[in-house]
Amino acid sequence: MSECIVITSGKGGVGKTTATANVGLALAMSGQRVAVLDADIGLRNLDVILGLENRIVYDLVHVVEGECRLKQALIKDKRVEGLHLLPAAQTRDKNAVTPDQMRRLVAQLKETFDYVLVDCPAGIEQGFRNSVAGADRALIVTTPEVSAIRDADRIIGLVEAAELPEPHLVINRYRSNMVRSGDMLSREDILEILAIPLVGIVPESEEIIIHANRGQPAVLDPESKVGEAYRRIARRLQGEKDIPFVALETSPGFWTSVKRWMGFGAAREVAS
Amino acid sequence: MREILNRFFGSRGASKDDAKQRLKFLLIHDQVDLTPAQLEAMKAEILEVVCRYLDVDPQETVFRLERLQDKVALVSSVPVRRVTERTVHQSARA
Repeated sequence: MSECIVITSGKGGVGKTTATANVGLALAMSGQRVAVLDADIGLRNLDVILGLENRIVYDLVHVVEGECRLKQALIKDKRVEGLHLLPAAQTRDKNAVTPDQMRRLVAQLKETFDYVLVDCPAGIEQGFRNSVAGADRALIVTTPEVSAIRDADRIIGLVEAAELPEPHLVINRYRSNMVRSGDMLSREDILEILAIPLVGIVPESEEIIIHANRGQPAVLDPESKVGEAYRRIARRLQGEKDIPFVALETSPGFWTSVKRWMGFGAAREVAS
Repeated sequence: MREILNRFFGSRGASKDDAKQRLKFLLIHDQVDLTPAQLEAMKAEILEVVCRYLDVDPQETVFRLERLQDKVALVSSVPVRRVTERTVHQSARA
């Protein structure tokens, strides 16, 4: 059974596009047929993050307006078998597409693909309404900051209003050392406030800039901690349980090491 | 405990506590959509009504909006000094 997941956040710049690219690739690497769809019409970026910008001929608006067939617009990733990108139009705006057209497009994609991931633009207007129109569930990306969490809370309400099931949360840019010193909201703090199930924590890392520079998302690098975090998110989305969180494993502090050594193992959370 | 350790090791207060407080306040007010002035007016009006029936201590009175899961509750604590004559009279009649 195929599924459409919208990746959203409310606030811009928290890592929606990077999350879409990495989760899409990770799902494809585990053998799924995946389409990633850029719904940010007018400000497309998913093609750049994936390093597929030079191969765009047709886009989402061409498909919706019947100027080309869906198959012609889909760009096949040559690095990973099974990943396809449907790019957004760059010269149009969000009103070029209606929620009904998006619903039909997603339904058509679900006939061919196991997963359809929609990269939602920032904001709560037309772009958001288009993105959630065909979705079966939502993934909310946030960072441990007051502004991002406030917007995430607003988006959770809008996702519920759109009659989607309870969304799942990805916490991005997590710095364990700052959490330990009390200068960053912890996973527990964030979950206490947002009260939705957690599906992943992605550690903050400078390497993400290098991946973006090269158009080579982190999951393509087997050594990358960020990549591993996204691989685990993909596994949890496919229903696997009891996978520990990478961000909580990295560079344990002195007392954590002592506690582990004394037999108080690191807590393992279950994503529901 | 962490605070004591932080103080002991000379670090500043945990800034995440500020973040959490501000967030909780923001989310309640996003949901309730009342300005701080409107909230103050509401408190004054409630207190005015309560004072008609009870002798309360306005200094010790607390009205606070709290988030309980996905709902917002108005939590209040109004210490009563003594029941006024009028209340006694009314309950006697009832």
